[in-house]
Amino acid sequence: MYEIRFHGRGGQGAVMAAQTIAEAAILEGKQAQAFPFFGAERRGAPVMAFARIDDKKICDKTQVYEPDMLVVMDESLLDIEPVAAGLKKGGCAVVNSKTAPSDLDLGIKVRCISVDATSIAIELLRAPIVNTSILGAMVRANDFVSLESVQRAIMNRFGEKLGEKAGRVNSDAAKAAYDRAREGTCRGERKIVKKNAWLPTWQETPPGVAIGKTEKAGMAVGPGSMSQNLTGTWGGANPVYDEQKCIKCQRCWFICPEGCVHRKDDDHVEFDLRYCKGCGLCAKVCAKEAITMRKKGASE
Amino acid sequence: MRSVKALTGNQAAAYGVKLCRVEVIPNYPITPQTIIIEQIADFINDGELDADFIPADSEHSAMSMAIGAAATGVRTFTATASHGLALMHEMLYVPPQVRLPIMLVNVNRSLGAGSGIWVEYNDSMAERDSGWMQVYVEDNQEVLDMVLQGYRIAEDGRVVLPFMLCLDGFVLSHTVERVELPQQEEVDRFLPKFVPLNRLDPKVPMSMNIAVSPAHSMEMRYQLDRQMDSARSVIKEVDVEFAKAFGRSYGGLIDTYQMEGAEVALITLGTATSTARVAVDELRAEGKKVGLIKLRFMRPFPHEELRKATKHLKALGVFDRSISANRFGPVFTETRNSMYGSDIPITDHIAGIGGRDLTVPVFKEMFDVLEKSASGKKVRECTWHGLRGEM
Amino acid sequence: MEKKMNIRTMPQEDHLLNGHGACAGCGVAVAVKNVMRILGENTTVYVPASCLLVSGGGMYPHSAFDVPFFYSAFENTGAVISGIKAGYRRQGKDVTVVGIAGDGGTFDIGLQALAGAAERNEDVIYICVDNEAYMNTGTQRSGSTPFGAWTTTTPVGKRVQGKRQFKKDLMSVVSSQDIAYAATLSIAHMNDFVQKVEKAKSKKGFRFLHIMTPCTSGWKSDPSMTYDLARMAVETGMWSLYEIEDGETRVTYRPNEMVPITEYLKLQGRFKHMSKEDIETLQGWICQKWNKRYCPAVPPLEKKEEELALNGDHCEGV
Repeated sequence: MYEIRFHGRGGQGAVMAAQTIAEAAILEGKQAQAFPFFGAERRGAPVMAFARIDDKKICDKTQVYEPDMLVVMDESLLDIEPVAAGLKKGGCAVVNSKTAPSDLDLGIKVRCISVDATSIAIELLRAPIVNTSILGAMVRANDFVSLESVQRAIMNRFGEKLGEKAGRVNSDAAKAAYDRAREGTCRGERKIVKKNAWLPTWQETPPGVAIGKTEKAGMAVGPGSMSQNLTGTWGGANPVYDEQKCIKCQRCWFICPEGCVHRKDDDHVEFDLRYCKGCGLCAKVCAKEAITMRKKGASE
Repeated sequence: MRSVKALTGNQAAAYGVKLCRVEVIPNYPITPQTIIIEQIADFINDGELDADFIPADSEHSAMSMAIGAAATGVRTFTATASHGLALMHEMLYVPPQVRLPIMLVNVNRSLGAGSGIWVEYNDSMAERDSGWMQVYVEDNQEVLDMVLQGYRIAEDGRVVLPFMLCLDGFVLSHTVERVELPQQEEVDRFLPKFVPLNRLDPKVPMSMNIAVSPAHSMEMRYQLDRQMDSARSVIKEVDVEFAKAFGRSYGGLIDTYQMEGAEVALITLGTATSTARVAVDELRAEGKKVGLIKLRFMRPFPHEELRKATKHLKALGVFDRSISANRFGPVFTETRNSMYGSDIPITDHIAGIGGRDLTVPVFKEMFDVLEKSASGKKVRECTWHGLRGEM
Repeated sequence: MEKKMNIRTMPQEDHLLNGHGACAGCGVAVAVKNVMRILGENTTVYVPASCLLVSGGGMYPHSAFDVPFFYSAFENTGAVISGIKAGYRRQGKDVTVVGIAGDGGTFDIGLQALAGAAERNEDVIYICVDNEAYMNTGTQRSGSTPFGAWTTTTPVGKRVQGKRQFKKDLMSVVSSQDIAYAATLSIAHMNDFVQKVEKAKSKKGFRFLHIMTPCTSGWKSDPSMTYDLARMAVETGMWSLYEIEDGETRVTYRPNEMVPITEYLKLQGRFKHMSKEDIETLQGWICQKWNKRYCPAVPPLEKKEEELALNGDHCEGV
């Protein structure tokens, strides 16, 4: 049995990617299953999806803890999630990245395929939805299904839903990723640290599904404790502020859904980028163009 | 001085609420419960009870209001029946896990099609998985006394669970009986001020009942299971305390009648127990060794108590006033489950469905089946008594 | 004359803290964040099933609200906040109790409990954050979804293209009771927004705030367009800003002239399939609403927001 775990962000299409790879296997007469981690995540939040492929009926309905293949649809997840946890020694990783495999550090030294799926998606689909291009790179990493089957599955799933043309460009995206993917071995230097979790016994669990402001297992819990959730990794752009142009109208402070805009004593503002999801509303409401949005990684 | 009044079951419940100084009472009318909230409205309007009386737009809203009020840490009460309880179903699952000791009087009435406004237990029996304690009572004095005991049990720090008092529609709710009313000071001594486990309060903010992932749900559910179990000893303890304070005892989870030397016995609940006592007396006078077990609490279920009380029997019958289509009445299912491993033959006796009057001969018919069963004869596993047509 | 609160003078302390899980550019997050700033720490929040419950209420043991927060079901906001208020009243605690529900939880499943609370004139604030569909479950049609809009349950298919019914006039339903205060708000009309929330806070009795909150994922719009959509909704007449006090309706902002609805529709993927006939039907419906709301002509009460921002008027003398 071949097991795959996808790590992406809400809205990237990790679930669709898992379903499509399963459909490709089914088209080849194999057995397959695909399913999401059933969470309640919004766009931009880290999400997972899973797929299994085998020649005989698959009965295991659990999540994939020891994948043969790891698919990382957003490179920034490497810094915030233990994505490579449980990856088999002889397994492989597929990473959406501009970086060459040998410069990627997953915390485990395995065969690695890197592909700039975001650029391919923007080029061919005009949207940073990388779920179809990543499929091409997956086939490049391991031919457990053929590229033709993947393209057929894409036509089935995307073509039916969004029209034949959409199906074709998505299929092209997979082919482009297959061709442009780079092979190599990633580094294993980073420590894969399991996320801190508070898992009390039933006796330790506070009664009444109620929790006050306190600390558990070294982290804040209760009212307001979600502020430990640094959502700044979700977005692809950050605001750049020109204090000279600012007329202190506070419209950016009002409109920011995240509360990243802080008002200073002199009513100029500053941005707490730890939480910025890159929506760009602050720049939109600024009448003086004192705020512009800059893509992450772009030079100043 | 204690006073004595002639009260209906519904009025007795309302007097209980007054004596317990309940603070918030969301309400919605439904037959045969309505008199309870009417009586409470009068108490409040006449200055006899200082409480917030909120007329709700439905039973679902009434329970939602009770939950909201209880979450701030005040004593709350509401009452309903049948369809009203069914409409509350969704909300009934909140107070047990959030640990809000709300009192709900359910005046039992049949639920759904093929029925009217008369007593049957298919309304409250359907809610026995929700995490509410459930008591079924026999007379109007017990109605009043169990409101008092109920709050004391529900708010006990070892329990902190909601309490459902089930009383028979019309047979108790609209029947006048002698009820002794304790003095307010006595009740104040018996029932201390309510201290909640958690409360909404801007001075000490709490996140209450936010979404819970699989990482925590299971521990919470087991906690609830244990909490219900620990209510068993508290129920017995409170009954003893109540006897000391008011001179009446109900035996805790179960009560027994004429069980000494009994060879066959019937488990009854609600007002059926009363009429069955008459049947037992008449059969005993004929020299028959019959006895009665009054099942008071459906949750927590008295599994140990039942095994102990039935040890010496040759046959055991269970009276059920509701049915789970195709698989017996719920009291029978639970009893047989508790008696697993025992070789006493157990039979189910469905009667009084849709409020059909339960007469002494009906109970005698049940004992007839039990005596046959005790003598080793083959009898039906489940008999519908008073049914027209061959079973 | 007492100076009205504006975005420069409003309280700054957050009570829906950062780290919440709403989508980038979420209109609900903008609305609720600012509502909470004004309501302040002496507030208790009830949120029924909705995006806000998950993204703001949080997942045990974490919450983004730093004030008391409660949830229990979907359809009972009006009832639970009535109960919470009664509980506080019994204890002599003067606490602002607010229920914040979505359009599904208000227009549809929660309408009965809302109507009950309004009729009893409960001393609570009910806020409907309206993103015109069941977004928490993935964009299904609600009574609030506008004519023509795609949702997953009003799909664009062979027989019909999008929703065939018009948006329910919820404000008429709610204000048909003699409630203390009712107002419509837009996150693009910031000072108007602030003043209405402040007014709601200062009053006693049942107060209803209806806030239009564009939804980037359900409307299929760019996150940065949330503000433009909120503004354009008002300019086209899809949304109007008014308040109802003592039975009197007062328009608080009137666009100078009606912008064609196409200017609003083209910013969103949910309308992109709309036929010419359907757009005309929708435009006709809007014209009716417009005439009812603004005619006989009511003079504009305040300068347009962006004018204020451009000349910095409202920054002076604060």
